[in-house]
Amino acid sequence: MNGGGVGHLDAAAPVRARGRGRSLGIALLVAVTAFALLGPSMLGIDPTRQALEDSLLAPGMAHPLGTDVLGRSVLARLAHAARLSLGLALASALTAAVPGVLLGVLAAWRGGVIDRTLSMLADATLSVPGLLLVLLFAAIAPGRIGALYAGLALVLWVEWFRVARAASRPVLAGHAVQASRLLGFGRTYLLRHHVLPELAPLLRTMLALGTAQGVLALAALGFIGVGVQPPTAELGLMMTEYLPHWHEAPWLIAAPTALLMAVVLGMMLVSPADAA
Amino acid sequence: MRDAPQSRRRALLGAAAAALASGVARAGDAAAGRTPLVVVGPWEIGGLAPARSGFVFARMQVAETLVDIGDDGVPVPGLAASWTTSGDGLQWRFALRAGARFHDGSPVTAGAVARSLREATTPPAALGLAPIRSIDADRDGVVAIRLKTPFAGLAALLSHYSAIVLAPASYGRDGAVQSIVATGPYRVTALAPPQQLDAERFDGWNGGGPLPEVERVRYLVASRAETRSMMAESGQADLAFSLDPASVTRLSSRNSAAIASVLLPRTLIVKLNAGLPALGDVRVRRALALAIDREGIARALMRDATLAATQLFPPSMTGWHDPARAPLGHDPASAARLLDEAGWRLTAGTRRNAGGTPLTLMLRTFPDRPELPTIAAALQAQWRRVGVEVSVSIGNSGDIPLAHRDGTLQLALAARNYGAVADPVGTLLQDFGAGGGDWGATGWRDETVVDALDALATGRASGGEAARARSRVASALHEGLPVIPVSWYRQQVAVSRRIVQVDLDPFERSYRLTRIRWRR
Amino acid sequence: MSPVAAAWGRVLAARALQALVVALLVGTACFFMMRALPGDLAMRIAASRYGYDLVGNAAAQAVRAELSLDGPMWPALLRWWTDVASFGLGTSLVSGEPVWDEIVHQLGATLELSGAAVAIALVLGVPAGMRAGIAPGGWTDRATLAAAVLLRGMPPFLLCVLLMLVAAVWLGALPAAGEDEGGLLLPGLALGLGLAAGLARVVRSAVIAARASPSHEFALTSGLTDAQVLRHHTVRHAALPVLVWLGVQTVFLVEGAVVVETLFAWPGIGHALVHAVFGRDVPMIQGTALCMGLLFVTFNGLVDAACLLADPRRRQGPGE
Repeated sequence: MNGGGVGHLDAAAPVRARGRGRSLGIALLVAVTAFALLGPSMLGIDPTRQALEDSLLAPGMAHPLGTDVLGRSVLARLAHAARLSLGLALASALTAAVPGVLLGVLAAWRGGVIDRTLSMLADATLSVPGLLLVLLFAAIAPGRIGALYAGLALVLWVEWFRVARAASRPVLAGHAVQASRLLGFGRTYLLRHHVLPELAPLLRTMLALGTAQGVLALAALGFIGVGVQPPTAELGLMMTEYLPHWHEAPWLIAAPTALLMAVVLGMMLVSPADAA
Repeated sequence: MRDAPQSRRRALLGAAAAALASGVARAGDAAAGRTPLVVVGPWEIGGLAPARSGFVFARMQVAETLVDIGDDGVPVPGLAASWTTSGDGLQWRFALRAGARFHDGSPVTAGAVARSLREATTPPAALGLAPIRSIDADRDGVVAIRLKTPFAGLAALLSHYSAIVLAPASYGRDGAVQSIVATGPYRVTALAPPQQLDAERFDGWNGGGPLPEVERVRYLVASRAETRSMMAESGQADLAFSLDPASVTRLSSRNSAAIASVLLPRTLIVKLNAGLPALGDVRVRRALALAIDREGIARALMRDATLAATQLFPPSMTGWHDPARAPLGHDPASAARLLDEAGWRLTAGTRRNAGGTPLTLMLRTFPDRPELPTIAAALQAQWRRVGVEVSVSIGNSGDIPLAHRDGTLQLALAARNYGAVADPVGTLLQDFGAGGGDWGATGWRDETVVDALDALATGRASGGEAARARSRVASALHEGLPVIPVSWYRQQVAVSRRIVQVDLDPFERSYRLTRIRWRR
Repeated sequence: MSPVAAAWGRVLAARALQALVVALLVGTACFFMMRALPGDLAMRIAASRYGYDLVGNAAAQAVRAELSLDGPMWPALLRWWTDVASFGLGTSLVSGEPVWDEIVHQLGATLELSGAAVAIALVLGVPAGMRAGIAPGGWTDRATLAAAVLLRGMPPFLLCVLLMLVAAVWLGALPAAGEDEGGLLLPGLALGLGLAAGLARVVRSAVIAARASPSHEFALTSGLTDAQVLRHHTVRHAALPVLVWLGVQTVFLVEGAVVVETLFAWPGIGHALVHAVFGRDVPMIQGTALCMGLLFVTFNGLVDAACLLADPRRRQGPGE
């Protein structure tokens, strides 16, 4: 018996729209991934090549996305930054999500001592200010972007743990699971057919938001002065660097922002409204 | 005859009433409807000790120093009306301004001033730079400072914000500053560190001239330039300091605020460790200097090509800046040639010496000044073009003196203030004296410079002698390049339409609030 | 004792004990972490105190002597423990002011801001999310998706600048920054709008999941109207994960507001924490971590209470 899907009462109009939305989402994600993976080599422009006389050029023939204050091609920097930042943000989100969700489901399943221990661990992590943890990571390994993302994952796993735990508890305590158990279905079946469908919509939304959160967290860190070392092109740092030019060269900050929005939109469109 | 005195008395009373009425009217005018004059800047108020946040109280004219600095850099009377030096230069006597009072009404006594100044002898407060033996109250209204060795720049040191004079009531039991009770034309009404200071006019101020027209002032901290410029544009701030070039461009094209600017005695420098084998060779240092496109950096990043440094001292530092001196140019070809001569050959895009070691250096800088990381990236690319690999490390400002001390420094980018006490001799002694300096020379020493600075500091050289000594120092620094100048600085301020007669202090010691008038 | 009272009692007792342990552990852990960081402690403190113009080896040496940083670190830790025992938190190494005063000022400001942000998020996000969940594919659904993409994909400092531009410069309605009259609204919006968008999407997903569950159908077939089902079943069912998500996000908000606080010159705890870490202001970090830890425990208790209210099954004691 499927935990979802049945009884979707407003199925009428949105079916086709859902399909369209989903294709658009997939298309966006494919486009961004291609840009990130192939862009740097295909464009062939050095993202660190400066030309001070070409500072802050508007998008044009020579530079499709314009140039930044040091005359570097924004398109080239965007491609390199996409590869670095999106890759790391996704990795960080997954590093936080996978153990978080697994532990959350485990805690909800087992209850008792395991639940209490895991909850205490989560609480302990949350009670140390996340900003402090990340800053400490940054202080230990200054300028190392990997350390920053590791710190982020350490802070963010709790979110996944708690949501997964809260969402799977009612399912595991529910009739459907009891019935399946009585029928002799094992753990994997229960996970795949009962827990996951319940969690999936929530988790997909969170993954989309979580990846964006990762990139923006790096932007915030760059904002307060803890960033990667020049001349690395990093999405969040680009946003921070382009902020002062918001008035005279709005295309600058629009570029990385639009890219990130495309990623978020793509991820959210790909996850359908109802169960998998 | 009897009517005459009566009519005179009536006339006097009438005049008094009229004066009172107009005074009340003016006060009412100022108080009713007018918000305080708001000054916004990026500098936070961190603790009350003068060495930490004295600059806020000095600039907002809440506290005064014994000595002020005129626009030409010459010390003028402040809280001290006059001063004398003994023949041997070891005894200085400062006569305090008669009738001066602290904000709590107590008189400014020599004892109080001496106590306050003694706090300023601990590093990094300014008086720690002078060879002071003792600071005492000599007699009524005279403070005597005895030196171990002659030091001509003592008056200038006393103009530094770390030497502001606080009343005995300011200090708590443990000797730490608990509140700011000082002598300035404005008195603190509310203090909310790190972000806000409110002050009102102190009617007991006798610092010269009429009382200021602006009655209430406020200092706000906004650490981002975007915020400060928006505050100026929306009218929330009357004076917005340290605007970034993009905001200046934007505000210039609008009507909401005017832009005032002044050239500062501050230079953006690259500090080199001449103790390293690679950088010990002056040809390599010259090559690094020639590889820098100063005009490009000044035009693109500071939006003002005239800020490209031609020498270490900006034009506003007369006596040190020599217009006739051959400027440091942008000549990558000569830079390449010099590196070849010094034994660093270009192979596969990188300079290597005979042993095959590549010329790789690390440039340290800090993000406290927003332009530093960007300029570091620009320098990195420019040096890359002549084959020198430079990695940039953006850390804490304290990392640079630390690296200077333990010898791990290679290159550092900083904005050095040579006008902290108007006369740069004290700062230059710190930087280029016998042992080098945290923000000056590492592994480099020039006897001409040491001699000349010593002569200037002790007062041995005066008049024409002093001018020649200054010239010798500037030339030696220009030739030897223990630090490479990149650009100079302008202070850019947005001034609201509400006020007139805004005057910028090139030494950034005061916001000159007493001169400001409301627009009628 | 009734099961409800017993459950509440358990919760409160557990939380109180947790608070005590958290206070001491977190503060002590911070002490060691800070001392273990690379770099010279005295120089960092001097740089934070005096700024980049005055900092140097002489200043660092003076700080080292003043704070006895050359000697063992145990006296400092001991001093902090005694401070805490007497309900104080020591003095800041950078500003010299009592840590407690600074924290009250700054954490209070951040809590005010976070409260405003959560209020805005609830008012805007929950109704929109419910509407979107009930009518997926409809107008509200698309609008919340667009808002979520826009607001969660945009760097917060860009949103801040735009809000400042519109409200302060163009309209002149609100102050651009600082704590003047109405100065809370812009930073509150900057934080609250993004949170509202995320909340709307999470509410939407939870509502959809709730309405797709068999209990929902069962309720409808048992004769309850749509509105009654909405109120009694959907909301309760959806509330749990939403509450938990919101709870975690609020905790992140408190520290994550540093960008908004910096731009709007709002004196917040994030900004203070950043400066304290850069300046190695150990008592300040210990005090901040301790207070935020306690705050978190209290907040956790509130969220737990809310979850207890929402899910009756939990009140009946441990599950299977």
